[in-house]
Amino acid sequence: MPQIDTIRQVSEVVWEIPTSYKPGMLVPAKIYATKRLLDGMDAGVFEQVTNLACLPGIVRSAYAMADAHWGYGFPIGGVAAFDTETGVISPGGVGFDINCGMRLIRTNLRYQEVRTKVKELVDLMFRLVPAGVGVKGTLRISESQFEEVMKYGVKWCAENDLAWEDDPNHVEEGGFIKGADPSKVSRQARSRGIDQLGTLGSGNHYLEIQVVDPIRFFDHDLSRHFGIVEEDQVVVMVHCGSRGFGHQVGSDYLRVFDGAMKRYGISVRDRELACAPFSSKEGKDYYGAMVCAANMAFTNRQVIVQRVRDAFSKVFHRDAEALDMHLIYDVCHNVAKVERHSYDGVNAEVLVHRKGATRSFGPGHHDIPAPYRDVGQPVIIGGSMETGSYLLVGTEKAMEDTFGSTAHGSGRTMSRTAAKREVRGAELQRKMLERGIYVKSATMDGLAEEAGLAYKDISEVVETMDIAGISKKVVALRPVGNIKG
Amino acid sequence: MPFRYLPDVALADIAFEAESDTVNGLFESSAFALSDIMVDPKTMRSETTRNVRISSDDLDTLLYDFLTEIIGIKDVDSLLFREVEVDVAPDHRSLRATMKGELIDRERHLLRNDVKAVTMHMFGVRREGARWKATVVLDI
Repeated sequence: MPQIDTIRQVSEVVWEIPTSYKPGMLVPAKIYATKRLLDGMDAGVFEQVTNLACLPGIVRSAYAMADAHWGYGFPIGGVAAFDTETGVISPGGVGFDINCGMRLIRTNLRYQEVRTKVKELVDLMFRLVPAGVGVKGTLRISESQFEEVMKYGVKWCAENDLAWEDDPNHVEEGGFIKGADPSKVSRQARSRGIDQLGTLGSGNHYLEIQVVDPIRFFDHDLSRHFGIVEEDQVVVMVHCGSRGFGHQVGSDYLRVFDGAMKRYGISVRDRELACAPFSSKEGKDYYGAMVCAANMAFTNRQVIVQRVRDAFSKVFHRDAEALDMHLIYDVCHNVAKVERHSYDGVNAEVLVHRKGATRSFGPGHHDIPAPYRDVGQPVIIGGSMETGSYLLVGTEKAMEDTFGSTAHGSGRTMSRTAAKREVRGAELQRKMLERGIYVKSATMDGLAEEAGLAYKDISEVVETMDIAGISKKVVALRPVGNIKG
Repeated sequence: MPFRYLPDVALADIAFEAESDTVNGLFESSAFALSDIMVDPKTMRSETTRNVRISSDDLDTLLYDFLTEIIGIKDVDSLLFREVEVDVAPDHRSLRATMKGELIDRERHLLRNDVKAVTMHMFGVRREGARWKATVVLDI
């Protein structure tokens, strides 16, 4: 980290940079990190989280979670809430991969039943779930059906035999965010997205077979609520988003906002933070288009899960129902949503931007589906393909402290270029196999870029959030088979 | 095609700086850098030609829109390019480009990263002495 004289330690894992740090800061910036994680954070995190604190209408604090790293505009791992009347909305605060998120499905299989079939499963899923540069999916839909996808997400899937009956109840927002306005989506965005449903994409996106880690099984009671009942149980995790559709929506509106800021007398420290009042025409148009992309992302992950169910069913010669392949949950980690929160003595609707951050609503919240409402929402934290992932649970403390938000992953510490210098894809693939992880990737360069050494220690990230109380550990998940886009 | 990666910028993404003696050359270098991030150009052939015309507000946004167009063609038409010729209008508000490449072939092409978008983070075209330079951070 850079030398910041005014940073103050608020608690064991919470640090605050006051408004005096930089001219224009309207609120302080809070960073969730152990001292070690804080020292390891790049200068971009501090610059960017304090830039957020300057945006019009931000309330209470700008936040960087323990996985924070230098992004574009917002830091990855950034959270900011805005007054819905006086505040702004920022496409850069959502990111181009609108509603990039995580999905976790369970099985009733144990590792000993799957171990010899991991290669067959991964190879089959690699064929069924296209991954890599410019891939197209196998699902063909009409333009009018694509509009239904934009409006109704997983609900559309349920009506078209692409979801199980209870799937929508196990997705954040019930599988679709209200307020989609397809008329605000460009022709180019539609062209990029219409044939990409059911595709994984590239970068850090993956589809992974995982095993419940017997050593890091933290809370058996809570895990049972989520359908994880035993050690070595096999689950499948999906990480991807809205593909070219969302990327184009983000690009289109970044240009619109870049030009509109002058009109609203807004200046920002980084053009990627281009924003407009949420109540403005541009703000409303972007929100309507962004929700379309968010719903497309929910649908994309849903189609992928159907393919995963097909693959397991084929390999194990049993229906996916018989394998109990129910959805545990699906969380967004790149999105802006209107939510009601209590802060600074008021209870009001705010527009919460989470960019590389996960909603972490605590017990009793009405937005949590009935089966989980008493315990809090499942929070899915994806790690690198070598180190594994975590299932956590949302907390009341997150509602009090961070607008119901926590981290989203392990966070990078090394650039893609540097990672490729450190390790070659083929060598990494071989070493992972020796450690019991079969990985198949669309590109060897891409594989090397996602090596575990390029990421922070996910356990320390998760521990930090647990100590802060904004999400609590349930169980760790160990990778055994991975498809990397 | 002179460009260099900026490995310490935006860790999860890819940043580059392109440069040239001319505006046309700068746009060509930037397009080549973008293509190089998606595919090894040595594995590509120039089988298909695509002409594009783009109008924009100024030189900065013209480059942004041009690179975004190349990313869009990759998704919509599955086309990647290895040769690009650009003619930027004297007012720096429009361009015509001729791009040669081919349809994505997963067997033959050494594919790299599926670029999502051009960000505005640190984005800009500038003149340094006799050289034109552009900084571009791509979302990966």
